[in-house]
Amino acid sequence: MAAVTLKNVVKRFGVFEIVHGANIDVNDGEFVVFVGPSGCGKSTLLRMIAGLEDISGGEIAIGGKLVNDVEPADRGIAMVFQSYALYPHMSVEQNLSFGLRMNGNPKADTERRVKRAAEILRIAELMKRRPRQLSGGQRQRVAIGRAIVREPQVFLFDEPLSNLDAELRVQMRVEISRLHKELGVTMIYVTHDQTEAMTLADRIVVLNAGNIEQIGAPLDLYDDPANRFVAGFVGSPKMNFLAAQVVGNDGNATVVELANHGGARLRKPLSGAPPAVGAEVVLGVRPEHFFEAGEGDCDIAVKADVAEHLGSVSYIYANAGPEELIIEREASRQRATGDHMVVSIKAGQSLLFDKSGARIR
Amino acid sequence: MRYQNATAYRFLAPYLLIFSIFWLWPIISSFLISFQATRTVPWRFAPTFNWGRLIGDPAFFNALKNTLLILVIQVPVMITLAIVMAVLLNSPLLKARGLFRFAFFAPVVVGEVAYSAVFRLMFNLDYGIINKLLNSVGLPRIDWFSNVTPAMAVIMIAVSWRWAGYNAIILLAGLQSIPQDVYEAATLDRVSKLKQFFYITLPLLKPIIVFCAVLSIIGTMQLFTEPFLITERGGPGGGTETLGLLLYRQGFKSLNFGYASAIAYTMAGLAIAISLVQLWLTRDPK
Ligand SMILES: Nc1ncnc2c1ncn2[C@@H]1O[C@H](COP(=O)(O)OP(=O)(O)OP(=O)(O)O)[C@@H](O)[C@H]1O
Ligand SMILES: [Mg+2]
Repeated sequence: MAAVTLKNVVKRFGVFEIVHGANIDVNDGEFVVFVGPSGCGKSTLLRMIAGLEDISGGEIAIGGKLVNDVEPADRGIAMVFQSYALYPHMSVEQNLSFGLRMNGNPKADTERRVKRAAEILRIAELMKRRPRQLSGGQRQRVAIGRAIVREPQVFLFDEPLSNLDAELRVQMRVEISRLHKELGVTMIYVTHDQTEAMTLADRIVVLNAGNIEQIGAPLDLYDDPANRFVAGFVGSPKMNFLAAQVVGNDGNATVVELANHGGARLRKPLSGAPPAVGAEVVLGVRPEHFFEAGEGDCDIAVKADVAEHLGSVSYIYANAGPEELIIEREASRQRATGDHMVVSIKAGQSLLFDKSGARIR
Repeated sequence: MRYQNATAYRFLAPYLLIFSIFWLWPIISSFLISFQATRTVPWRFAPTFNWGRLIGDPAFFNALKNTLLILVIQVPVMITLAIVMAVLLNSPLLKARGLFRFAFFAPVVVGEVAYSAVFRLMFNLDYGIINKLLNSVGLPRIDWFSNVTPAMAVIMIAVSWRWAGYNAIILLAGLQSIPQDVYEAATLDRVSKLKQFFYITLPLLKPIIVFCAVLSIIGTMQLFTEPFLITERGGPGGGTETLGLLLYRQGFKSLNFGYASAIAYTMAGLAIAISLVQLWLTRDPK
């Protein structure tokens, strides 16, 4: 088992800098998820840890040992690829044992490891099949099995579930979680799906355009995002962002006026320095934090546009001038298109951001 | 439905007509001719006349032996060479990839006569560059075209030069279809580049290699240009005469169409038989 430490890690492809100095400490046995939009550098970061990609700057240590110049096979890691990367011409059993056989591992030990992996992943009855004779979920299991037989100190997953259908994805997610508990080893998992990140991670690293926006436990990111990007990325459906302007400061609170809601004002207590009067700000409100009229600190009127009824909850897509808001309502089956409704915002359950996206606390 | 089919066939009719006249009919006709004595006028039906002669004809067995010898040596050597070339072309270390790809493929588009003339010059006893090179490293020069073994070697070298690049391009397409992450997985499994080649690349390339081998077998069975032009009609003394050349000699010099047809059918039959054996030997174990 091993901790993984990234210190000022930089990656350049030619003149393009893709990762701009990443600092991440993954503790021994921890499940850390790298999450971020497509192209933000998650895979690149993971591949640098694996040694499949050179490090342009900074240091990566696994188990306290600097691995910048260590061969991928000697880093004590195993990787599960998005495309599974199974050997197409080998049976499942050969796929699992190939690496060990090529390295002259004792036959009995190889068999033991393969058998154990097959048991953990419940693929024992598939051992004689070729990858193309397997379903997507089965292939994924074999790919994970191939990682398990290596008995690595660190597992690396690069979007392992993105080729599966929704139901299977949920099922495999649970299995990976179970695997982590069973093996107790460090796992680093890349995904662009925030639900996967929220459900699997001990800690999440949110990446954006090669920068780390925030590192923290799933609910900390949800409750206390460092900036507008993290606030918008974590949580589903997305947080609503309402344009506003600071109209006054009193004591340790600021008063903002919502730009598109008929001059509605919200008084928001702050712990830090308040923004200047006249400054343009953004108020973030999660869909589940719109309350019935009068219950909150500031009421706004909106016009329901589309309603999605999911049974237990409904999402109402509402318009107010140029802004589209998503409002969560509990089992409100009647609400129909064109209805006017009034919802209420609470100061304590909204977040304030300045124009650049930084949080105003 | 019926009506639509009929319309479709009417559209196909011009093609089918031309195909039948210039392709299907010659195939059938030559089969029939192979059972006729064609040195007499009129031709008469004599089922064993040509086929009987074939079985006892030393010239036929000489040509058969030469053809098979070239096949057995040249095809494996060329395919191996083509694989090496394809791997080089696919290497990320290679600079000026486009230039190499063009250079490897270029021999195919060079005119047969021109290429043969150049090979004759290169292997010329007194002025050829090959003998000059041999001399310069202290080896005796070789009289390439007066002895059978060197003459055969020249043919094999020439054919390989002409077609190795062509096969390499086909193999390159196969190489590029192997996903990169399979190699990355192998790298993580601590499998060396060399072992990756033998345990991953070659097995995954096998269908393409077999395809190239079958194409080459069919091509070499019909070998004609090189022994005709480079070693001057199968010289020395029929030492490089191939089935293709024998067919030409019988059919178009002696105008013995019946016998030529029998030879043609033997060549086609052999090509099919060898290819089938090849496919069977390399089939995917189920
Ligand atoms: N070999 C390469 N050469 C040049 N640029 C590259 C290379 N590999 C990746 N990039 C660039 O690096 C950036 C990050 O790529 P990366 O694959 O890490 O993204 P990602 O976060 O994994 O995205 P996704 O969710 O789509 O997989 C992208 O802008 C990509 O274009
Ligand atoms: Mg990726």
